[in-house]
Amino acid sequence: MDAYEFINFHLVPGLLLGSIYAIGAIGVTLVFGILRFAHLAHGDLITLGAFLALGAVTLGGLDPWLALPVAMALAAAVAVGIDASCYAYLRERPRILTVMASLGVALMVRSVVQMGWGTDPTTYTTGILRPDEYFGFILLRDRELATFAAVIVLVAALEAFLRLTRWGRAMRAMSDNPDLARLCGVDNRQVVRLTWIIVGMLCAAAGFLLGINTEVWAMMGWWVLLPVFAAAILGGVGRIDGAVLGGLVIGLAEELSVLVLPAQYKSATAFVILLLVLLFRPRGILKGKVL
Amino acid sequence: MTRKHFIGAALAAAMTLPAAAQEAKIGLLFGISGGISAMAPTMVEAAQLAVEQVNAQGGIGNGGKLVAALGDSGCNPQAATDAATKAVNIDRVLAIVGPSCSGSVLAAANSVTVPAGVPLVSPSSTSPQVTRLADKDLVFRTVPSDAYQGAALARTLIERDTRSVAVTYLANDYGTGLAESFRAEYEAQGGTITGFQQHDGSKASYRSELSRLARGGADTLVIFDYGDGSGLTILRQSLENGFFRQFVGGDGMKSEAMIRAIGAANLDTLLVSSPVGSGSESLAIFQRDFRAKGGNPDGIFATTSYDAAFLLALAIEHAGGDRAKLSASLRAVAGAPGEAIRPGEWARAKKLIAEGRDIDYQGAAGDHAFDEAGDVPGAYALFRVAGEDFEAVAQMR
Amino acid sequence: MDAFGLANYALFILVLVGIYGLMALGLNVQWGLGGLFNAGIAGFFAIGAYASAILTSPALPGRVGGFELPVAAGWVGAMALAALLAWPIGRVCLRLRSDYLAIATIGVAEIIRLAVRSEDWLTGGVRGISGIPRPFGELPYFASQLAYLALVAAAVLLAYVLVERQLRSPWGRMMRAIRDNEAAAAAMGKHVESRRLEAFVLGSALMGLAGALFVHFNRSITPEAIDPMIVTFLVWIMLILGGSGNNRGALLGALVIWLIWSLSELLTDRLPTEIAIQAKYARMFLIGLALQLVLRFRPEGILPEERRTHGRDQDDS
Repeated sequence: MDAYEFINFHLVPGLLLGSIYAIGAIGVTLVFGILRFAHLAHGDLITLGAFLALGAVTLGGLDPWLALPVAMALAAAVAVGIDASCYAYLRERPRILTVMASLGVALMVRSVVQMGWGTDPTTYTTGILRPDEYFGFILLRDRELATFAAVIVLVAALEAFLRLTRWGRAMRAMSDNPDLARLCGVDNRQVVRLTWIIVGMLCAAAGFLLGINTEVWAMMGWWVLLPVFAAAILGGVGRIDGAVLGGLVIGLAEELSVLVLPAQYKSATAFVILLLVLLFRPRGILKGKVL
Repeated sequence: MTRKHFIGAALAAAMTLPAAAQEAKIGLLFGISGGISAMAPTMVEAAQLAVEQVNAQGGIGNGGKLVAALGDSGCNPQAATDAATKAVNIDRVLAIVGPSCSGSVLAAANSVTVPAGVPLVSPSSTSPQVTRLADKDLVFRTVPSDAYQGAALARTLIERDTRSVAVTYLANDYGTGLAESFRAEYEAQGGTITGFQQHDGSKASYRSELSRLARGGADTLVIFDYGDGSGLTILRQSLENGFFRQFVGGDGMKSEAMIRAIGAANLDTLLVSSPVGSGSESLAIFQRDFRAKGGNPDGIFATTSYDAAFLLALAIEHAGGDRAKLSASLRAVAGAPGEAIRPGEWARAKKLIAEGRDIDYQGAAGDHAFDEAGDVPGAYALFRVAGEDFEAVAQMR
Repeated sequence: MDAFGLANYALFILVLVGIYGLMALGLNVQWGLGGLFNAGIAGFFAIGAYASAILTSPALPGRVGGFELPVAAGWVGAMALAALLAWPIGRVCLRLRSDYLAIATIGVAEIIRLAVRSEDWLTGGVRGISGIPRPFGELPYFASQLAYLALVAAAVLLAYVLVERQLRSPWGRMMRAIRDNEAAAAAMGKHVESRRLEAFVLGSALMGLAGALFVHFNRSITPEAIDPMIVTFLVWIMLILGGSGNNRGALLGALVIWLIWSLSELLTDRLPTEIAIQAKYARMFLIGLALQLVLRFRPEGILPEERRTHGRDQDDS
């Protein structure tokens, strides 16, 4: 195999998939860090986000990329609503109950998607897109460049928000030490609502980016749930940079695994790497928190 | 909430179901939830079309209604046995169409329908394990075991002078069965397989797998997968990256969702095989009727689902509603000799049965001459994309 | 609709409740008693299921097997193999805390699932194993189900008594002490690591037994049966809703969840046939909704843990 094949058919697809996993994993890690539970409805919210964008394309006649902000806004509202109706009352209870509630939410969200849009896979635009050549040897499609750009913009915007704004700092304080944050006058309820707004937006973005690079269908989110969780844990719970790193590692590992393993074990690579890393670094690559 | 309350609620829910009077019930068990949920709606609608036709043309026996009880067998034994138990015991069905996946058929047959003496006709389980079931002649299929189709496709490709291919197949019994029978026949006929790879159906990217297959040097990729599942992703990524120039699929790849997503103009290099009867007349009738009802006749297993339901209706009529005679009746109405009955010809079939004449149902998916194990031999044609639809190119042998 | 049909349906439900109840009991040893977040239940279920299937089924060319041992040997083998494999897995994974442990065990279960699906020579690959004997399988439908239910009930009762004894023994008290305050227990000289490992192995053996009971009931096993959704997550819901820490709660949770799951279909079947398919999707919604309602009104579980000591000072997610 030559460098051309390696770059175009293993490295670039791995990075592309990894950056989409990263967006999903950031959402997971935010819920972990601030609300301290494993959000099992994350995958199905990703599906919902992809379908909300589809709705904006088919009903509103929008260009897919213009549908993205619409879907993000809608998904944020949905996430806040789900929290208020299904998670809020369990806040003072053992967190395992919220995990179970999120499993129920996953079933409900999937059911709504299937009732609303059916089960056939569809796409935002019909047709296929052949790549352009860059620097004489890198093949990239416009939508892939846009995906990378969108991921970078989202991560940068989120980092800036968390570091530079008052509310962002409040979120980080909640993540680092909730008791202290409360003592310092951080409004717990506002921070939780803000977290869900961001998580909803990230779910929609992950779903849209996954959908525009492949297809949109009812099981798409459920099937990325485990890699996304692996990515969040691999990087270290509660760390945005860890989630990005974890996402890229998992995405690359899956695409590169085919070079050494039978293809049917592709999904296992994410977990083999995860187990190996946890063996030596029990709290992830970047030392996440123990909840 | 106590245990008593729950059982009470269960009993109440069960008791208030409408009592069966003057009606013959069949169960329709399909994998509506779970891994192959994308293809279930079309299968359900096709089976329901058969039920509607029966009722529109005189019903069962002396004006009785054929009633379909729909169940969700998922694609796992847990859901399938649960759905089958409800169909057999709560709905009291005479026979069952389904379940969808082979694992579901094995479990439902072994632990529910065979012990209960209820015949089962699966429209979509292709595993050879189903042939080997100790089923007391109660398990039938309207879909051929995958051995037939893979081999027929291999011979057809050799005839068309395609002597070197790469194969990628879905990691379930459907994909694996087709791929293995294809490989055996193709190599026996002198073809070369340059790459043979199983893939997971839940991934968003298959570029690394495909590039590895492409390295083998073949121009043609054979895909044994579903066109409304990962097969679509694989075909798209092969086309977009130019890994292969020709594509061949099994009946699972004959999907309208795929044409909508990729566009007919991009699919002129695709050929798919699909089961058809000895004459294509039956298929044409079914396609016309199903389309008139708003269904998608090219949906995967649409024809076999329709045939399974229609055959069971014929058998119930023939057996006079006696469940113990259903298996024998199923064989009688499905096989020669007898007057040919085409899809939708219920009134004529009913009259012939009443007169005591033999009938021979020639279905949309084949003639369904059941062998001893309750399997049907496959007859296939090769299709290509034409417009927004598929058209037959050649018969396969 | 008649009493005979209803009885058959009830027997079927009870058999599966028993099988899932065994897994919920096993999870209760691990989570309710030991505080171990095992999210790899499906993996141990699979090990037990395939171990018993291979030991008892007739030979098939291309696959290891043909031992045709008695069913009882299959069940013992299933428990033994599940325990044997749980030991090294536990050794490695139990060093991890809470969610790290959960994802590690999910990972192990996924690797097991992929291996089961891919290694034809051992497990029959995607086609699975069939022709597995079922005790009393030759009896008529009703009698056969009744006899099998008796076997399952005996297994559940045995496991219940065993676990209940463990729970009340010094071992059980020690486990709870470790769960509730690990540092204090360790300071008092308890072997935290080995106690945890024992709980993990015992729970996994019960999950393996459940797998074995499941394959012999269906006389076949295919990889779809070990999907995490239908095994791991379902068992977790059963334990948490039934009452974590309470063995009777675990069994009751299995019954309630299975009834919700099974009966919801009878409810959605009342909807008009024009929307029959949508009704099946709505069923998922109903199941999710029922889960929310139970959590809202009985968040501590239907049968909460009996507090033998003062309350927990921490909660673990």
